[in-house]
Amino acid sequence: MISFDYLAAPDLETAVRAGAAASARFVAGGTTLIDLMKLGVERPAHVVDLNPLASRDATLATISELPGGGLRLGALARMSDVAWDARVRDDYPLVSQSLLLAASGQVRNMATMAGNILQRTRCEYFRDTAMACNKREPGSGCAALHGINRGHAILGTSEHCIATHPSDLAVALTAVDAVVHVRGPNGARTIPFGDFHLLPGAHPERETELRPGEVITAIDLPPLSFARHSTYLKVRDRASFAFALAAAAVALDVQSGTIRGARVALGGVGTKPWRSHEAEHALIGRPATIATYRAAADAALAAARPQSQNRFKIELAKRTLTRALTEVSA
Amino acid sequence: MPRFTTPLVLTFHARHWDPSHREQIAAYNRLIANLPDGAGARLLSAGGEGAWHELVFDDDDHTSVALPIVSDAGDELARRFGVSDEPAVFVIDTDGVVRWRHIGFDAPDTGDIVRALTDAAHRSTAASPMWSRRQFVATVLGVAFALTIRPRLARAEAMGHSTSAAGAEAAPVTLNVNGKDLTLQLEPRVTLLDALREYAGLTGSKKGCDHGQCGACTVHIDGRRTLSCLTFAVMQQGKRITTIEGLARGEELHPLQRAFITHDGFQCGYCTSGQIMSAAGMVNEPWGQRDEDVREAMSGNICRCGAYPGIVAAIQDVRQSGRAAR
Repeated sequence: MISFDYLAAPDLETAVRAGAAASARFVAGGTTLIDLMKLGVERPAHVVDLNPLASRDATLATISELPGGGLRLGALARMSDVAWDARVRDDYPLVSQSLLLAASGQVRNMATMAGNILQRTRCEYFRDTAMACNKREPGSGCAALHGINRGHAILGTSEHCIATHPSDLAVALTAVDAVVHVRGPNGARTIPFGDFHLLPGAHPERETELRPGEVITAIDLPPLSFARHSTYLKVRDRASFAFALAAAAVALDVQSGTIRGARVALGGVGTKPWRSHEAEHALIGRPATIATYRAAADAALAAARPQSQNRFKIELAKRTLTRALTEVSA
Repeated sequence: MPRFTTPLVLTFHARHWDPSHREQIAAYNRLIANLPDGAGARLLSAGGEGAWHELVFDDDDHTSVALPIVSDAGDELARRFGVSDEPAVFVIDTDGVVRWRHIGFDAPDTGDIVRALTDAAHRSTAASPMWSRRQFVATVLGVAFALTIRPRLARAEAMGHSTSAAGAEAAPVTLNVNGKDLTLQLEPRVTLLDALREYAGLTGSKKGCDHGQCGACTVHIDGRRTLSCLTFAVMQQGKRITTIEGLARGEELHPLQRAFITHDGFQCGYCTSGQIMSAAGMVNEPWGQRDEDVREAMSGNICRCGAYPGIVAAIQDVRQSGRAAR
């Protein structure tokens, strides 16, 4: 690993200032950054440790109730803290489940909310500095297009990048219209979750709306009454501690057999956490039946563009979504 | 073998020498700079097998010197000077007589070393211009001064370190491990795992994948199971770190340690310390009571031998007997 300057951020202002340099990276849980630094994928000259900020402002690392309903997840709250929180489990089961189905017990004790949604793709060509990757080295090409792309995305891809967004949590967050709070050189602002992650397009190296120096301070879960009737279903190659081949975050509001409200997002198949308004439109106002769910799944995957080895993901994602909808309405 | 025409400062390590660690070179330079004028000392490092060792002498000069290295295969040199596993510093005169020695994990006083070297330099007469490794091993011929320097566990405060809190250079990092404060001289890039294993001598935490996928490096930080390979040691100052070495109460094993023995929760043992530390954290988490819950909760710990049935049985035994809380 290359050498770097370490700064334990004494306050948010200092963190923002130090983090604005192109060669700087923030560290919190460390489970993504240190992994990638060992691989030589990340080579920061400055590492700014955000953890000390929690000693000045405890809300940065805790879960609190919002005045108008909903929950605020501190950016430094650990995955396990949020996953086991009774309010999250009761009001947003899909968020709790997405966390418990991700990573391992140890990683969940380290990784933070902000770090989770900023985690980098698991594309092996991104993680191998000997290979071409437009995300890691813009303009170098995409080795996955003609390489081993079984795990890659089928939604939101471009000719420059087909890397899957790896986060489970982010899929649940986009389903509930979470809001990301950031603090930057120009003050504080909020970013709707659906706008937070970017499609790769011609610039896969740009992954989020964050500007240099901006620090995530919190993620809000807005009030959503039928989020109590929600689930996160994840399908993977092994039973645990694996990234999704396909996943579905769904919340349904079913009244007298008719779907009044629906939230649908997919994981493991998109270049960003994939909210499917198409599926929601196919659900709302329809009877809560398997046929409706299958139609919604067809709608969600209508735009899918498979690569040479991952055509199976289209059907897998459809069945995953159908099953998730079935389970949550049962 | 290189030819030496001047008296030597011979430093040798019974273990592995890693010239990429600048603090080691800086420490040598400091010693050279403190030698009396005209001593003409040069440095020789003898590296054997095993872990490399850090020197902890304070230094502001980071220019490097060329270090001739001879192999100390089989730790012959170390054994000759009676060094086994403890750090040691020797000053030896041209006759091969040990004039000064310091053995132990506490760091020696630099001033003492310099005084001993000065004393030995005044007594030394001539240095043999050429010698072979065999000659060297047999008689320490041509060696004016020999230093065996193996301080792994350093008392940085005794050495007057700089107090810079940030930066890429090695700086004192204080870790609370198993109830004791350890001050180590670490670069920011040193992971907690490497700090424990290579600097603090606590090799119970294992390096498996070094990428957070196997769980062999599991330790507790503030009571929670975490991966020591995926955090920098400098980030864990002020935290309470528990390793497998700190789990037992003296000779009394932790209930999980006993249960792993009872239920054959291991075969080769490499993953075991990580499994036990992970289990000791898991039993305090709100998991369900089924075997299936244990398997899910423990999925971050890989066992190549496939001792999983015994591991699950051991954990369930402890959970069901209510002996988990400690």
